[in-house]
Amino acid sequence: MRAIEPWVEAPLGGFLKESAARLTLLMTSSGQVVAQHGFTRSLDVMAASALGAGIMASTFELAKVMGIRPLDAVVHQGTGLGIYLGAFDTPRGRWLGLVVFGDETSLGLVQYFFARLAEDLGKAAPAAEPPRQVLAENFEDELNSSLRALFGR
Amino acid sequence: MLRALLDGLTRIAGVRGALVVSGEDGIVVAETVMEGVDGRAVAALAGSLAARMCGVTGALGHPDPVLLHLQGTDGGLFAAAARAGLLVVAVTSPDVNAGELRLVLLRAAERAA
Amino acid sequence: MPLVNFSTREITCKLVYYGPGRCGKTTNLLYIHGRVPEQRRGNMVSLATQSDRTLFFDFLPLELGVISGFTTRFQLYTVPGQVYYNATRRLVLQGADGVVFVADSQARRFDDNLESFQDLQENLLDQGVDIRQIPLVLQYNKQDLPSDLILSPADLDDAFNFRNVPSLPADALHGAGVFETLKALTSLVLQRLAVRPPAP
Repeated sequence: MRAIEPWVEAPLGGFLKESAARLTLLMTSSGQVVAQHGFTRSLDVMAASALGAGIMASTFELAKVMGIRPLDAVVHQGTGLGIYLGAFDTPRGRWLGLVVFGDETSLGLVQYFFARLAEDLGKAAPAAEPPRQVLAENFEDELNSSLRALFGR
Repeated sequence: MLRALLDGLTRIAGVRGALVVSGEDGIVVAETVMEGVDGRAVAALAGSLAARMCGVTGALGHPDPVLLHLQGTDGGLFAAAARAGLLVVAVTSPDVNAGELRLVLLRAAERAA
Repeated sequence: MPLVNFSTREITCKLVYYGPGRCGKTTNLLYIHGRVPEQRRGNMVSLATQSDRTLFFDFLPLELGVISGFTTRFQLYTVPGQVYYNATRRLVLQGADGVVFVADSQARRFDDNLESFQDLQENLLDQGVDIRQIPLVLQYNKQDLPSDLILSPADLDDAFNFRNVPSLPADALHGAGVFETLKALTSLVLQRLAVRPPAP
C-alpha cells in the first residue's frame, strides 16, 4: 500500500482487510492519486486514476442532464472480476475510490466496507496544512536537464 | 410477491428484519427491517457467510447447505438458500422461536425461487 | 496546486492541452509518447471516436525524474476540441495545474481559435479559476504550412497573448516546438512550488 499522507493508511488498511479487494485506488475528483494498493507500476496507477475520475465525472454530469440526484457509485461487473467506483466527501475535498474485486469477495461487501472507509477517512482527516516551499529556488537547471534526458537531447 | 414473503417472516415474534439477498453479490434485493438493522451490512455479510459455508460443505464432499443459523448472545441470523442464487435472510433477537422461524424461512425460500 | 507526497517525496502535476478541433493536441502527445523511453512513460490512453477524433480525452503519464529530491510526474491530458464536447472539456480541465493552449496557425481557423480560447476562459472561470492566475503557455501549431495560409506568431500573439505568457511556434507533427512547449509549462507549474510562502 502507498499513500500520499500517513493518516490515510489505517482506514485504507482496514478496508483492504475487510473487503478482500484485489486493487484499490483513492484519488481526488480531478484524477490525482491519493493512495493505492495492488498496482505494481506507478504509471499504470495514473492511467487507472485518470479513467476512473473520467467515468465518475461523466456520471455526475449525466445525472445533472437527467435532472436526478448525483450518482455516487458505479459498478462494472465482469466475469470473475468487478470494478466498484464510488465518490465521497472528505475535509480535503471530494475523493473517489476505484476498487477491483474478485470471486473471493462480493459487491455487497465492497460496497459496505467502502462506505465505512469513507466515514473513517472523514474522521481521520487532519486540517489542511498551509502551503510550504517544496522545490529549491534554482530547480530549473535540474528540470531542464531532466527534460533533455527524457527527450534524448 | 417478495414483500408478502418478507411480511410473513417479520410477523414472527423476535424477527427484527427479513431480506431477500443476491447471494453471490451480497446485495439487497428486497428488505423489511426494523430501525437499527443495517440491511446493506446484513446482506453483504450473509452473502459472504453463505459463500464460505458452501466452500466448507463442498470441501467435505457435501452439497451446498440449505439453511444457516448463526447464534450470538444478542441475537441471531438465519439464511435459507433459494434458487437463482438468492438467499432469504432473517435477523432475530435472542428470544425468537427458532423452530417456527426455520419452517417459515424454508417455505419462503421455496416461494422466492 | 500539484499533488505533493512528502513521505515518498513525489510530485504529480496535471497538465492539459486545450484548443480547437484538429489543432494538434493529440499530435503533441503522440510525439512525446514516441520520443520518451518506455520505462519513463505509461501507455497513452485515447478515448476517441471511430474517426479518431478525441471523444473524452487522451492521457499520457510521464516520469520526469528527480527535481530537488522529489520524483516528479506529469499527467498530460488533451480535451476534445469539437465545440459540442464542452461538457467533457470542463471535466478534463478540473484540477488542472497548467494549460497549453494549442492554436491552429491557419488563417482560416482564426475564429475557431478565438472561440476555443474564450471557451477555455469560461470553463476555468466555471471552476473558480481566473485564466490570469493559472500557468498558461500558447503554442502556435502548424507553422510549417505555407506562409500565405498561416498567421505569424507575432499576429497570433497580438490576438491571444494579452498576458504576455510564453508562446512558441510549433510543427507538432514533426516535433518542432513540442519539447519547448512542455518545458515552458512545466517550468511555470513547478515555479509555484519553489516559492517560499509568506510567514504567518
